[in-house]
Amino acid sequence: MNADAATLQGRGISLSFGGIKVLKGLDVEFRPGEITGLIGPNGAGKTSLFNCLTGAYRPQGGTITYAGEPLGGLSPAARAGKGIVRSFQTVALCPDLSVLENVMIGLSRKFHAGWLDAFLPLPRGRRERNAMREAALAALADLGLADAAALMPGQLPPGMQRLVEIVRAIVGRPSVLLLDEPAAGLNNAETRDLTRALRNLATPDLVMVVVEHDMDLVMSICDRIYVLNFGEFVACGTPAAVRNDPEVVRIYLGSDDD
Amino acid sequence: MSESVVQSGRPARSGSDWRLQAGQWATPVLIAVLVCLPFAVTGSWTYTLGVCFANSIGVLAVSVLVRYGGEVSIGHSFFAAVGAYSVAILEHRLGVSLLVGLPVALALGVVSGICFAWPSRRLSGIYLAVSTMALALALPEIINNADEWTGGFEGLYVSRPVVSGVGMSLQRYYAALVVLVAVTYALARLRHSRQGLKLLLARSHPAAADAFGTRRVWARVSVMGISAGIAALSGATLAFASSTVSPSGFTLWSAIFLLVGSVVSFYGLTLPRALIGGAFLTLVPQLLSASGAWIPVLYGLALLAVILCGHYLPKIGGMMHRRARGVS
Repeated sequence: MNADAATLQGRGISLSFGGIKVLKGLDVEFRPGEITGLIGPNGAGKTSLFNCLTGAYRPQGGTITYAGEPLGGLSPAARAGKGIVRSFQTVALCPDLSVLENVMIGLSRKFHAGWLDAFLPLPRGRRERNAMREAALAALADLGLADAAALMPGQLPPGMQRLVEIVRAIVGRPSVLLLDEPAAGLNNAETRDLTRALRNLATPDLVMVVVEHDMDLVMSICDRIYVLNFGEFVACGTPAAVRNDPEVVRIYLGSDDD
Repeated sequence: MSESVVQSGRPARSGSDWRLQAGQWATPVLIAVLVCLPFAVTGSWTYTLGVCFANSIGVLAVSVLVRYGGEVSIGHSFFAAVGAYSVAILEHRLGVSLLVGLPVALALGVVSGICFAWPSRRLSGIYLAVSTMALALALPEIINNADEWTGGFEGLYVSRPVVSGVGMSLQRYYAALVVLVAVTYALARLRHSRQGLKLLLARSHPAAADAFGTRRVWARVSVMGISAGIAALSGATLAFASSTVSPSGFTLWSAIFLLVGSVVSFYGLTLPRALIGGAFLTLVPQLLSASGAWIPVLYGLALLAVILCGHYLPKIGGMMHRRARGVS
C-alpha cells in the first residue's frame, strides 16, 4: 500500500495534435525507489509524455494519478507544488541570475517569505535567504560545481549549464523527478559525474524518470525501461531484457527484413 | 573542464574588484551629495531637483516592468495620477499630509495595477503596450469629468507640510529624495528575494518557471502591481514636490517620457541610473530652455548621445582593458 501510495501512474494516455496521434493510449507506472528509463527514437513521443505528466499538455484521453490522486485538473505550477519537478531538453536557466541564484529557485516552493520580506530588511526573509543559499551551495558542491556558484550561466560551457539545471531540479528534494535528456551535451567526465549523482539521488520515496539517448547511461542507472515508438510502447522491462528484445534491436539498429 | 572555467572566471572577478568597491561606495556618496545639495544651490534648483527625484521614481516604475516583466508600458502616467490625486484629494478632503497620502497612494497604485493586469494577463509585447496607452488616453477625460473631486482642468494644490517648522521648499526636496532612496533600496532587496528570482525566471523561461511552481499569471500580475505601485509613489511625490496636480501633468506624453527616461537609464534600477532617467525628464529640458525653437532637436541629440555612449563606452572600455592587459 505504501509503495503504491507514491506511484505516478498513467492509464490510457492519448494525445494528438490535429489529426496526428502522438500518444496512443499509453499505460505507464513509475514506481518510487526506482529509476525508470524512457527511450525511443526521435519523435517517438517521449517529451510529449513528459509534458502530459507535468501538465504542460492536456491529453485528450486517459488519466494520470500520483499517489492515487488524479492530476488531470492541476496546472503545471500546482503539480510542481506536489513535488513533481522536471528538467528541460534545452537549457532553461535565467541568464540574469547567477548559477547559485538559479539553483535557489528550485528551493523556492519550500519557503514562504512574503512580499514584505521581499522589499524590507525583515529577519524572516534574511533567514530564509541564507537557508536557501546554503542548501543551494551544498547541492552545487555535491555535483562538483561549488566554484561556479558566483558565475553567470553564460560563463559556463553548455555541459555545465545542464548540470546546473539538474541541480536546480533536485535541490528541492522532489517526490517525482522527470529528467529530459539530462546527458545531452555533456562530455564523458560530466556524464560520469551525472550518473553517480543520479544513483546517489535514488531514495525509496523518489519516483525518477529519465528520457535519454545515451544508452550507456540508461542501461547503467535504470531499474526499468520503457521503449516508445510512434506513440506506443514496444517493450518494457529490465535493462537486460530490453537490450535483448528483438523489436527494440530492430528499432535501434534497423533490420534486413524491412 | 570545470577547473578551466573556474580559473578563467577568477581573474575576471579579481580584476573588477576595484570597480566593485567603487560601486559599493558610489551610492552612499551620491546620497550624501544630494543631502547637502540644497545648501549649495539656489531655490529654483532645489525645486527642480525635487521634481527630478519624483520623475526618477516614475522612471523606475517603467524599468521594473521592463526588467522583471519584459514588457513596455506607455501608460504609466495613469498610475502616477492615481498616486498624485490620492495625495491631493486626501489633503483637500481630510486635511492629512503626505505621510498619510503616500501609503494610500501606494496601496491604490498596486490595486489599480492589479486591476489592469488581470484582464490583460494574456497580452504581451506591442499589444500590452497599446492597451496601457488606452489608460493614458482615457485619463485626462476621467480627471476632467470628476472635477468635483479632482478640481478638473485647474487641478489641486498640495501644500500641507509633512513636518512643521521646516521650510516648504526643503521639505519638498527631502521628501522626494527620501522616497526615491527608499524605492531603490526596496528594489535592490527585491532582486535578491525569492519572489525576485522567480519573476526573473518567469520572464526568461516561463515554462521553466511553471515547472518550479511559479504561475505565469501570478508573475505578470505581480510585476504590474509592483510597477504601478512605484508609479503611484512617483505621482504622489511629484504632487508634493511640485505643489500641484493637474491633468496636464499626466498625459500620454508624460507616459512616453517616462519610457524615454527608462530607456536612457538602460532600465537600471539603481539610484544613479534612476537619476539619469529623471534628469532627462526634468533637468535636460531646463538646461536647454534658453535654446528656444531648438529644444526638441537638442533634446533628441542629447538622447542619442546618451544611448550611444551607454552602448559603446563599455565596449570601448573593455577593449582598452584587454589591450592594457595584453601589453603588461
